[in-house]
Amino acid sequence: MSDTDDTNETRTDGGEPATDGGETGIVAPDDETPTWQERKTRKSGLSQLTYEYFERARREDQELREESDYVERDVLGFPTWPHEIIRNGAISLFFVGMILLISAALPPSLELPANPSSTPSIILPDWYLYWSFGLLKLNPLNPGLAVLDGSKLISDQLYGVLANVVVVGAVAFLPFLNKGSARRPVEQPFWAAIGAGGAFFAITIAAIAVQNLIPLPLALQLNIAFIGPVVLGVMTYALLKTLREGYMYGLNRRYYMLRPPK
Amino acid sequence: MSLEKQDDFDHRTWLKRKDLTPIETVFLTALIYIDKRLRIVDYLELLEDAYYKVNLQMPKSHTEQYDLDNKFWYWYPLYSLGFFSVLAYIVAAVSGALLGFYYSPSAAGDPTVAYQSVKMIMQDVQFGYALRSIHRWAAQIMMAAVFLHMLRVYFTGSYKEPRELNWLLGIILISLSMVFGYTGYLLPWNQLAFWAGQIGVEMALATPIVGEWGAQLLFGGFTLGQATLVRMYILHVFILPFVVTALIALHVGIVWVQGIAEPH
Repeated sequence: MSDTDDTNETRTDGGEPATDGGETGIVAPDDETPTWQERKTRKSGLSQLTYEYFERARREDQELREESDYVERDVLGFPTWPHEIIRNGAISLFFVGMILLISAALPPSLELPANPSSTPSIILPDWYLYWSFGLLKLNPLNPGLAVLDGSKLISDQLYGVLANVVVVGAVAFLPFLNKGSARRPVEQPFWAAIGAGGAFFAITIAAIAVQNLIPLPLALQLNIAFIGPVVLGVMTYALLKTLREGYMYGLNRRYYMLRPPK
Repeated sequence: MSLEKQDDFDHRTWLKRKDLTPIETVFLTALIYIDKRLRIVDYLELLEDAYYKVNLQMPKSHTEQYDLDNKFWYWYPLYSLGFFSVLAYIVAAVSGALLGFYYSPSAAGDPTVAYQSVKMIMQDVQFGYALRSIHRWAAQIMMAAVFLHMLRVYFTGSYKEPRELNWLLGIILISLSMVFGYTGYLLPWNQLAFWAGQIGVEMALATPIVGEWGAQLLFGGFTLGQATLVRMYILHVFILPFVVTALIALHVGIVWVQGIAEPH
């Protein structure tokens, strides 16, 4: 179509020579990277929108940088070598050494070979799956419906699987529920209480997984598993509410020493 | 005017014209040789660009900004948990690769070949028991570190926007790590492995719509056997290592890009 060198061909479009390769597939050699502005003008449709957004994002970054009162310095903290490398190396060696020490002290056993005809009295996964296994054993809580003559709407197994899905889903949904810039537990006692209760629930529900090893009636075990975390959560909430005032006072004092109110 | 082609791109003449030391000559000759074939100059430019980007001056850290230098930042040790889990992952990967030399995933015979190979590792192979012990403990410690890492992220509010995506990625990673542990737990094909597999199949079958398909895919059928063992083995040594390693790299990369969320 249109070339950059002189030809006798008359131009039919009368516009700029197409150098973006959009039509001919030929990219003109160019030393300079085109700016977002240039790319934007060459494109149309979705790609133009993309470049428009890039331009806006760049401008936004630029403005934020100009507004920022951060002080830029030549050196931030410790240099990578030797300080950081030696510190991290020491931590790594300590951690790996700890793993080796534990492995040497407590080698794993090898149980009896698989035998499909004899079910062992205790079936357990590794400890980190106990919480999930406990949730699978929630069948006593699977309600029977009166309209169905007391039969259950979903099977006990499905009930356990759903309990897992609900728990993992709730944890995954967390950042969409709790937003904002608060970082310390004292700043948000409610969410700290939820966290403490949740972590404790992971332990108490794990006990349900080994219910036949615990010499307590199942109803009592279930009560402990569900009420225990709530009690701990309430205690956490009360404690943090009490501490909150003092913490916030100290935090605000430091903040206003740094930036006195106008 | 000679018949030899002479232009700006005649690097050999350019090289001769310059007065170079032998080291410089060797370096430039090698560079030109490679660059003529692979055009690495473009990539060098990228590298240079990246170099200057990495060395960009960083904003003041939180500790500096709020003048907390003289305070002991009591959360600090907990910020090493993520690194600790990566470290345990690497130890498990190395010991696992070595275990792979001796283990054979076969459910044939009674007791099965798989069980006998683990027994052989424990009893006959030099330091085999140590290898299995290291692999197992590294996995346990990785899971413990990952759980504690998650708690740290929760209680320091590090999951909040704009870090939601990394939190979701973390949920995926912790789930995959547990699948990693589960598939590994099944490999010795001992009593606990078999019955843990049985529970897995029952769980899959209880799920409506996708359950039977999932059981076929992951366990190779509705009863445990050779197919189950091989599928668990391939998941454990081939699929999960690639997926989890890639996701860990992405997870850490996002932390790198977004910066560590320090508590205010």
